[in-house]
Amino acid sequence: MNKRTITLILVAYLTVIWVAVIFRIDYFPLTWVPMYSGYKPSETISVKVFDKDKEQKGFKVTYQDGSTGYVSSKDLNIPKPHFRRLYNDLLPDSKLFETAPPKHQQGNIELGMINRWIRGLNKEESRSVVDREWGMFWTLNKTLGHEPSDPKFIIRIEADQQHRVYRKDDLLRQDVGNVQIDTRRALIEWREEWLPGWGHGSR
Amino acid sequence: MAAANTISRAWNQFFFTGFSGESLGLLRMYIGCGLLFFHTYQFATVLSLNPIGAMHFFIAPIWYFKLLGIQYHVPALSFGMYAILMGATVSMILGKNTRTSILVIILCVFYLKGVRDSFAGDVHHREIIPMQILFLFLLSKCGEVHSRDARQRHIPAGVQEWEASWPIKTMQLYVALFYFWSVIAKVRTSGWVWFAGEGKIQEVLILRSVRWGVTDQGEFLKNGLSFELAQHPELIQIFSILVLAFELGFPLLLLIKSVKWRLAFILGVTTFHIASFVLMDVNFLLIPFVYLIFFDLVPIHQWLKTRAWPLFRRRLSMAG
Repeated sequence: MNKRTITLILVAYLTVIWVAVIFRIDYFPLTWVPMYSGYKPSETISVKVFDKDKEQKGFKVTYQDGSTGYVSSKDLNIPKPHFRRLYNDLLPDSKLFETAPPKHQQGNIELGMINRWIRGLNKEESRSVVDREWGMFWTLNKTLGHEPSDPKFIIRIEADQQHRVYRKDDLLRQDVGNVQIDTRRALIEWREEWLPGWGHGSR
Repeated sequence: MAAANTISRAWNQFFFTGFSGESLGLLRMYIGCGLLFFHTYQFATVLSLNPIGAMHFFIAPIWYFKLLGIQYHVPALSFGMYAILMGATVSMILGKNTRTSILVIILCVFYLKGVRDSFAGDVHHREIIPMQILFLFLLSKCGEVHSRDARQRHIPAGVQEWEASWPIKTMQLYVALFYFWSVIAKVRTSGWVWFAGEGKIQEVLILRSVRWGVTDQGEFLKNGLSFELAQHPELIQIFSILVLAFELGFPLLLLIKSVKWRLAFILGVTTFHIASFVLMDVNFLLIPFVYLIFFDLVPIHQWLKTRAWPLFRRRLSMAG
């Protein structure tokens, strides 16, 4: 390759990486937003209460035959941090549940006129909406080898998690005693209308 | 016309000068050594799984898995991919079938990162810089110096300065831009409030300390120092301004010729990454190994070979 070819390659390369930044493309190996960019001031700070026993048990599930059981990270054969994320994403008030997985959420913040226009989004519309409910039934049942006709097909998934909620003002006065325990529960149920999409892995 | 000439001259001066073929070959070797540790650390969680356990169906496959129709994880395959990744990295370090080795590394990283990010749909950005570096190595002539390829194939002419410089300079530019974009992203998504004394940094410091719990006496089980620091917004404000200054100013590093100043800047950035790991659990801890691209490794390698290594061997034999 001569200098001219290399120059052309460099121009193309620089164009691609800048286009990703301008148009908010976050598809590996391109990015516009290195981590920890999103911040929304809040008066409270909420942290999960770690419960080892609960984490080991995992999701409480109900099967089609009426029996119940638990699905853990070992059953799904995924690392614990990822399992925790799946578990917490299911809970109400999860920042992730309404819009998208963690870092994708950043893609929805303050999109701006041009980025809305090229994606055909109106002012209120979110850029990426993830259907976590359907996804949970898909992930759990498929991994455990259950099909909708099986008695052991999971039709209900439950999760609950305690949170300690502090007021930021209290914490900044070093007052850690003023804490509110908030229990968040999630219960999702299989819907028959999802059946036609099961075979090809989408709703 | 004059402007075009100036731009062309500046372009050529920046991209096509500054490094020798030897520098490029050594950079390939040293970055390769760093990648051995970096990738092991990155993919350790995938290697903690049962290789013959359940095949997990992804809830949110990464974009290229979706494209290729990869819906589930074959755990044993990840172990195989990791072994291939390590083998290819060693091969890249030695410069044996260099271009093929780099291509194999890239494919393995795509696969293993894809698996890790598809479990819960999270997106990690730590692989982005090493991937860009690998891509530029792939296009370069890095395998023609300090390599088995060069010895076996008797490659006669050395790599010219312009051929060695453009990949290294592009790597430098990418890393500098990565930090610069970070400021743009913060301002776009959060506004300048991110940099306030009572902004993002304070929030993360508090979160990382209270999340491990508090004893009945009000003592933190972990990260008490983070909580202490969070009580001083004026101090955090100074840190925030420092973060802003170094991220915005990172491209200026490309203009600094003095090795001492470069080193000082890089040490500052490295300290920042270590501090944000210790205090805030922001895991970019190993990423500083890529800062080797900002230095000519020829004198460093020479010093290691002629001074440090014999000294180390002597100490070893004395201890033995």
